[in-house]
Amino acid sequence: MSDEKINFTRPEYYQNRELSWIAFNYRVLAEAMDEHIPLLERMKFLAITASNLDEFVMVRVASLKDMVHAGYHKTDIAGMKPARQLELIGKAVHELTDTQYHTYNVSLLPALKKNGIHVITRYEDLTEEEAASVDRYFMESVYPVLTPMAVDPSRPFPLIRNKSLNIAALLQKKKGDQELEFATVQVPSVLPRVYEVKRDGEAVRLILLEEIIERHMGKLFLNYNVVCAHPYRVMRNADLSIDEDGAEDLLETIEKQLKKRQWGEVIKLEVEDGIDKRLLKILKKDFSIRDEDIYLIDGPLDLTFAMKLSGLEGYDHLRSEKYTPKPVPAFANEDSIFDNIKKGDILMHHPYETFEPVVDFIRKAARDPDVLAIKQTLYRVSGNSPIIASLAQAAENGKQVTVLVELKARFDEENNINWAKMLEKAGCHVIYGLLGLKTHCKITLIVRREEEGICRYVHLGTGNYNDSTAKLYTDLGMFTCRRSVGEDATAVFNMLSGYSEPLSWNRLSLAPLWLKGKFLKLIRREQEHARTGREAGIKAKMNSLSDPEIIAALYEASAAGVKIDLVVRGICCLKTGIPGVSENITVRSIVGNFLEHSRIYCFNNDGHPEVYLASADWMPRNLDRRVEILFPVDDETLRERVREILDLELEDNVKAHILMPDGRYAKVRREEKSPVNSQKLFCQMAKAAVPKKDDILKGRKFTPMA
Amino acid sequence: MAITTFAAIDVGSFDLQLAIYEISQKNGIRCLDHMRKTAGVGTDTYMEGKISSHLIDAMCTILKGFCRVMEEYQVKDCRAYATSALREAGNSQIVLDQILVRTGIEVKVLSNSEQRFLCYKAIAVKENEFQSIIKKGTAIVDVGSGSTQLSLFDKDALVTTQYLKLGALRIKETLGHLDYDRVNYRTLIRELVDSDIDTFRKMFLKDRDIKNIIATGLCALYLNRKGGGDRQADKMTVREFMDFYHRIEKMSPEKLSLEMDIPIEHAYLMQPSVMIFRKMIEITGAELLWIPGVNLCDGIVAEYGEEKRLISFTHDFTEDILVAARNISKRYQGNKKHNQSLEKLVLDIFDSMKKYHGLGQRERLLLQLSVILHDCGKYISMREPAESSYHIIKATEIIGISHIEREIVAYIVKYNTTTYEYEKIMNEVRNHKISNVIAKLVAIMRVGNALDKSHKQKFDHVKITLKDRQLLIVTETSEDISLEQSTFEKRSYFFEEVFGIKPVLKRKRGV
Repeated sequence: MSDEKINFTRPEYYQNRELSWIAFNYRVLAEAMDEHIPLLERMKFLAITASNLDEFVMVRVASLKDMVHAGYHKTDIAGMKPARQLELIGKAVHELTDTQYHTYNVSLLPALKKNGIHVITRYEDLTEEEAASVDRYFMESVYPVLTPMAVDPSRPFPLIRNKSLNIAALLQKKKGDQELEFATVQVPSVLPRVYEVKRDGEAVRLILLEEIIERHMGKLFLNYNVVCAHPYRVMRNADLSIDEDGAEDLLETIEKQLKKRQWGEVIKLEVEDGIDKRLLKILKKDFSIRDEDIYLIDGPLDLTFAMKLSGLEGYDHLRSEKYTPKPVPAFANEDSIFDNIKKGDILMHHPYETFEPVVDFIRKAARDPDVLAIKQTLYRVSGNSPIIASLAQAAENGKQVTVLVELKARFDEENNINWAKMLEKAGCHVIYGLLGLKTHCKITLIVRREEEGICRYVHLGTGNYNDSTAKLYTDLGMFTCRRSVGEDATAVFNMLSGYSEPLSWNRLSLAPLWLKGKFLKLIRREQEHARTGREAGIKAKMNSLSDPEIIAALYEASAAGVKIDLVVRGICCLKTGIPGVSENITVRSIVGNFLEHSRIYCFNNDGHPEVYLASADWMPRNLDRRVEILFPVDDETLRERVREILDLELEDNVKAHILMPDGRYAKVRREEKSPVNSQKLFCQMAKAAVPKKDDILKGRKFTPMA
Repeated sequence: MAITTFAAIDVGSFDLQLAIYEISQKNGIRCLDHMRKTAGVGTDTYMEGKISSHLIDAMCTILKGFCRVMEEYQVKDCRAYATSALREAGNSQIVLDQILVRTGIEVKVLSNSEQRFLCYKAIAVKENEFQSIIKKGTAIVDVGSGSTQLSLFDKDALVTTQYLKLGALRIKETLGHLDYDRVNYRTLIRELVDSDIDTFRKMFLKDRDIKNIIATGLCALYLNRKGGGDRQADKMTVREFMDFYHRIEKMSPEKLSLEMDIPIEHAYLMQPSVMIFRKMIEITGAELLWIPGVNLCDGIVAEYGEEKRLISFTHDFTEDILVAARNISKRYQGNKKHNQSLEKLVLDIFDSMKKYHGLGQRERLLLQLSVILHDCGKYISMREPAESSYHIIKATEIIGISHIEREIVAYIVKYNTTTYEYEKIMNEVRNHKISNVIAKLVAIMRVGNALDKSHKQKFDHVKITLKDRQLLIVTETSEDISLEQSTFEKRSYFFEEVFGIKPVLKRKRGV
């Protein structure tokens, strides 16, 4: 087969991103099934699949529905029109849901019971004494916050809030005609979903809130008999902006056909399996929902409560040992943070190593009299962020503080606006991003006046400046005071402040203008190396891989003989093992206790390896519609370290799944090899790298001269 | 280590730029930050002749942003210069005042020759490359948005510099109503460019041997651009240039912008700019282009650093100015021999009078230029040489000196031989300091000129001393000096009027 004849952009070489995303949730669900994992951790994984699925429906499915309504028929990367995608997604989501509940009912519930955690599914199973306590709880705490709503000709069907859990009931007047009336009540979100009925030593008995309410429906509608009552839940596509991925010109199309868009449309209805037929009919009619979008659930609706359950007090033996991030060795001395960075670039691997130096970096800068300016991009920040407090303090101390706040971060808008206003009040110069582009890059620049002139300290990272998620997400961050990077960092902030782009860059590559070109260039260089018989190879790690141009370039490189090993946690539109196209490509996905989040790109370059870290995935939204930064790891030792990190992840045979040519993911076959759990090993390595207390003390000992 | 943080602002025709520098004796000049924002001031000026209030607002907003940045770096000093868009705008004074009131920034309008000289200094800061490049015949081609400056180097020194009203933005605006995609658009640019540059060739280039071209200006940095945000080499051969030229020749600005990563507003200026470079290569037969990547801000900081003695140049810029003046004199067939001896005489008098005239090196240079150029008017008219010289000087660009300095030189030359008119000069220059400088330098010039009336260099060896309110000029010549002595009385009268010192001419005793 001659190379020229292969068209690497054929749709059959690509996987639909939504289906790939569902496959990812199966991998997460597999963790919930894994009996080697502590029970309550498994509950957590189950909860994650539930909240993932909710977000998926609200964002992705909603977008696809919009496309169908708007008559938008463009095919996706795999050649599928929106309607076809919806069809397949619907099927897959039904299957995933079934698997979730099967896992919950068949393996998790019995296991919980075995460990003394009894989740009582039916009120009737309560003892008399327990029932009395539950009744008391209902009357004292639940009843006052309930708002029952009946539907009759004078009272139209109420607006059921997106994602809320509700109980629908059919009522019959105690005195009067036999006509059935419909009523609904929302399960209040202000109360805990799980009620602890009784705790007795090792054993605890729990009941779900909706179960309690369901049993007391009669108390809400005093003059009625409750014929039946069942929980239900809806998902709407309301109040969410259109998701950007895969439909750049969608907005335009929709604007033209504005009338066709059905705001607030219910796109998914979950009901308890065994719901009264008459009740379901009413719901179906009022939500005007098709059969395929109705989910009959065999168990409690909205499994996100499993997250709460995983945090159940006591029962620590059913959870993994809590890992405390370890100190970064380069900072384990008496020198100031700036002096330490002066000694050379510093790499940090979170959450194995603590995020504290980053917080400290800004805190110290805020108080340092020689610091002139602090500039930072903020995307998602934790509620009580010490970083924000430091930035505000810096401004109060008279430093020039520039903060780019990305308001468009999904589901985070409100939170962002609040602290952005707070920063402005403190005297910071707050920039609200660039028109039409999300600012996703993570960069901090500190300008400091020193003896030798102005020195610029830069922190670049693959993850957000969020001290809470930094304990859960695996990310890489780097401190440097290299002049070339400092100049680029200054240019980045100038650009973000609305000044013209610089004529050229020293070390950084930025999306959306230069980054994709840079990646394509790097991939093609490897291809050229392979073609001319030199050393070539690509190893990369990212959250998702869905950019068609990049995938085509990878196929082409693979066809030319470049060995490509990828670690892709989530969506992967690339297919492996296509003869003549992707035989040299492997894709692995690691799902572990920590969320894999770092983005690493290594290019062999004929034995002169180049290693880059980035805030961007190989996704169109990262490369085309966001401000992202790719930065090289120039320090040789650090470059080696990053390569080792990636290599270890490629060797993972405990938590890694490998993408098979048929599109399925399978756990890596260990065979005779000893188990390699990369996350666990990184924890051990970080622990081992901490200098012993004695070593530190030794340096402080005053030794009298003999 | 003593470090000065300095800010340079360029209020350009196309964009406003701010550069922050660190200057130290140890490390020289280091650019910390450089930011640009497009305002398109020139569009208003070139089309309407003045700057609209809307644009003044925009400029002030940008400058306020600059103030913030200057504050951030805690700059010690700042200089803001404006170029052709403000120079040519009818309401420039109002604009400058508005800027001062609203932003606190005092913007000075540079004359073209000052502006070019600064750019030239910025290039010279890159000492090693600059010195090696100008060893061979070199032309600096500075293509701005409003104009182009062509400067020629011969044997290390600047020999001529010419201003062409041919700038990238100006060309674009001139042809603005035409559709870019039309084939004849390129032809029209070409015609515009060719006619001006051909004139330059006939008048000034002649048969000089030019090997190198130093390319500067708005679009020079995009020459040889390949896209991708990478830095390109700063030197290119003519072959590389022509390849680049052919590659982009037929590209639309949009395509150019996309393929080469050039901001769209600059992409529109690429074609006219590149056309000018191409034409210069064609007429000079140069082999190499050097793109030093400097801008006006770099020149401003170089000037500042030199002034504050924070940096020094190996290249002698004063010599450039003098060589350029001598070339002008040569063009008007000035008397070289006479001028040389007169130069010495006049400067000797200037130097010995230091205590009494209180003038500095800059005025000494102006005096020297006056001597070099004083007889060029004879080329036009023997009847009114002074008046003709005055007009030639006023109309001739001399790189490195400002508009007002050039006027001073013109006055000195004019009143060297005509009756000094205090009131008229004062009315014209409206500045008593400047009129005093003119008076003092005229007085010195007259004495020197009187000594060499015969143009026979009888006073090559004189001794000048100051004693008892007398300026003793003692000559060793054995020739008859009665002609000189007769005019001396009459001419030295003005000297006494200005300085209260009487010049006395004597022949050394015993000769």
